[in-house]
Amino acid sequence: MLKTFLAFGLCMACIGGTSAAEPEREPFDDRYCTTCHGTDGRGNEGVQAPRLAGMEPWYLRRQLENFRADIRGVHAEDREGIAMRPMATKLTDESIDDILGWISSWDYIPAEATIKGGDPLRGRGLYSACAVCHGADATGNESLGAPALVGQNDWYLVTQLKNFLAGYRGAHPNDTYGAQMRTMVSTLRNEAGILNVVSYINTLSR
Amino acid sequence: MSRSIPSLEVGVSKQVTRREFLNLLGAAGGTAAALKAGSALGLLPHTAQAATLDLRAANPANRKVAILGAGLSGLTVAYELSKVGYECTILESSHRPGGRIFTVRHGDLIDEIGNRQYCEFDDEPHMYFNAGAARIPSTHRNLLAYCKELEIDLEVFINENKTSYLQDPALLDGKPIRNIDYTTHTRGFLAELLAKSLSAGEMDQPFTDPEAETLISLIRSFGDLNEDNLYKGSLRAGYASGGFLEHGAQKDIIAMRDLLKTQMGRQFLNANEGDTGPMLFQAVGGMDKIIEGFTNHVGHQIHYRSMVNAVEVKDDGIDIAYDQDGTRHLLQADFCFNCIPSHIMTGITNNFPTQYVDALKYIRRGTAYKAAFQAKERFWEKEDIYGGISWMNNPSKQIWYPSAGMHKQKGIMLGAYDYGDGELHTAMTQEQRIEAHLTDGEKIHPNYRNQVEKPITIAWHRMNHMLGCSARWQRDRNGWTHEEEELYHALQQPVNGRHYMIGDQVSMHSAWQESAVMSAQWAMADLNQRLMA
Repeated sequence: MLKTFLAFGLCMACIGGTSAAEPEREPFDDRYCTTCHGTDGRGNEGVQAPRLAGMEPWYLRRQLENFRADIRGVHAEDREGIAMRPMATKLTDESIDDILGWISSWDYIPAEATIKGGDPLRGRGLYSACAVCHGADATGNESLGAPALVGQNDWYLVTQLKNFLAGYRGAHPNDTYGAQMRTMVSTLRNEAGILNVVSYINTLSR
Repeated sequence: MSRSIPSLEVGVSKQVTRREFLNLLGAAGGTAAALKAGSALGLLPHTAQAATLDLRAANPANRKVAILGAGLSGLTVAYELSKVGYECTILESSHRPGGRIFTVRHGDLIDEIGNRQYCEFDDEPHMYFNAGAARIPSTHRNLLAYCKELEIDLEVFINENKTSYLQDPALLDGKPIRNIDYTTHTRGFLAELLAKSLSAGEMDQPFTDPEAETLISLIRSFGDLNEDNLYKGSLRAGYASGGFLEHGAQKDIIAMRDLLKTQMGRQFLNANEGDTGPMLFQAVGGMDKIIEGFTNHVGHQIHYRSMVNAVEVKDDGIDIAYDQDGTRHLLQADFCFNCIPSHIMTGITNNFPTQYVDALKYIRRGTAYKAAFQAKERFWEKEDIYGGISWMNNPSKQIWYPSAGMHKQKGIMLGAYDYGDGELHTAMTQEQRIEAHLTDGEKIHPNYRNQVEKPITIAWHRMNHMLGCSARWQRDRNGWTHEEEELYHALQQPVNGRHYMIGDQVSMHSAWQESAVMSAQWAMADLNQRLMA
């Protein structure tokens, strides 16, 4: 019937091993990203899943590996990280390679600014600490392991900065870059500082 | 949507209360007139039939309909609009129809992100699990009307079972007690208390003597009190022994002080009230037989594994971009009915008005969680349990015994249902979840661990293409705020008269199939009215 028909036509590594007498089982692959992150990887505020389109492959790989190794997404207060981690836990190296290749095929379109209440002028001053690694134009710096911030969903940046500040992210002993972020984010001091700096990032050319 | 409007026009002056008016009317026009008017005044339930859609035939130049999501509301639209000549295309992102009407059987994929499972239950007709919708109240007449029209066989769903258990570590050192023990004794104690306060002379003051007499006899009967209005135990709880060839011996009373150690009565005593108060039904062989009833008619319209990428509402139609088999497609339609979950729709490119988007973003997603086991034998039947629910004061919360397949060798039982906040189990690995349910369940059935096998778990919050159970509009348990009502009504209205959000998410009573059906009917009736204007 329908399921047997659907069993063909999928591209990815399917599980095998069903007996001949049984109807074909519904196949699956590891390309789950679009359910949360959107068909073009542009992110979805409704489930707090950030945009992946345009994210640097080296950064994505590091994060997927961190999730997989229980370095990220383990703190009880990191709700979004907790949602992500079980997905990454199942990924093989080959799956990660495949996903990175797939994501790199998505067009980069900068996210719309959504946050309210931040003061970009104050944020500009605060950003000088961030600029050291992420660059004055927030386009990131691979050699320093710092991803681009410009064009990312602002609500995602706010959540992550809050998580770094509170120690929900970056506190794991093996999270080297996370530890750096935790040090730097302390200069933002509080939620107001976070909103200010993200509002400033929103003003940068996208 | 047509409704039966009582023929009697009523005008009620503000000086006369509605009840007084009914009394007067009853005197003048008899009971039938009073009943009819009562219905119009909202005092009595409507006796109306299911809504009958009176849709006019599609205009050939304006008949293309895109339906996003093959859940119950989407299928309702496809079924009804196809009847009157619309050309419907259904885009479904997953591999199956039905959305949260999901019956799991042998070999089925449970596509939870990060926790994929294949169901290994034995391959027999009664060995299924309704992982989503499971109950149809007899008052859900629109859904029932479709069950009738589509010839779906129904059977009674056993919700409350007096022989099932209540278990709370705080109560009698965690020893499970039967539903009937808790309810009989609690009623007895409450009745005794009431009878005492009534005879104390305070409470009977508003009542006439005959009323007070009726009241005290009611209380006595409610709690099975003796002639002195005292509760001394009751045979209603069943017999400690005998009862057939010998006199039945009364069970020992469980002291009120002991019963008060559990808070569970608050939920437990309401189990057969409210939504689950009416007679409940299930579809014979699994709830997805209802979905099959629809797909028998409109299944050919469904495009599976088709993920919507963008929805653009234009002056003269709607463009829908979607991905299927790695290719982007464009579907152009005159109208669109959309049951994509709100929290997923927010991530799909659209040109909806701000308030509409605000409404989509406002709704929170439900986290309900269910788990089931295959039982190697129907051990509950040996404990006089046939169907129904046992309640536990632990995170697994409930055990459901199947309402079908009596006396067969095996059965599928629900091993956990966290209807409120399933995040605890959702955050666990599959192994941790199963261990938690085994540990919880053996508090009631000591040998549980050895009696069950082949577990499955469904964390709706993580199900691929769903990412949530029923929509949650209310932030405050006490009721909807004005802002929430405004957002709800904004989302119910079509965009440009062409795009309708549907599904139980666009209702004030989410989680029920009836709400999905009614939201679809509301949208179609609204479109019909616009086209007639």
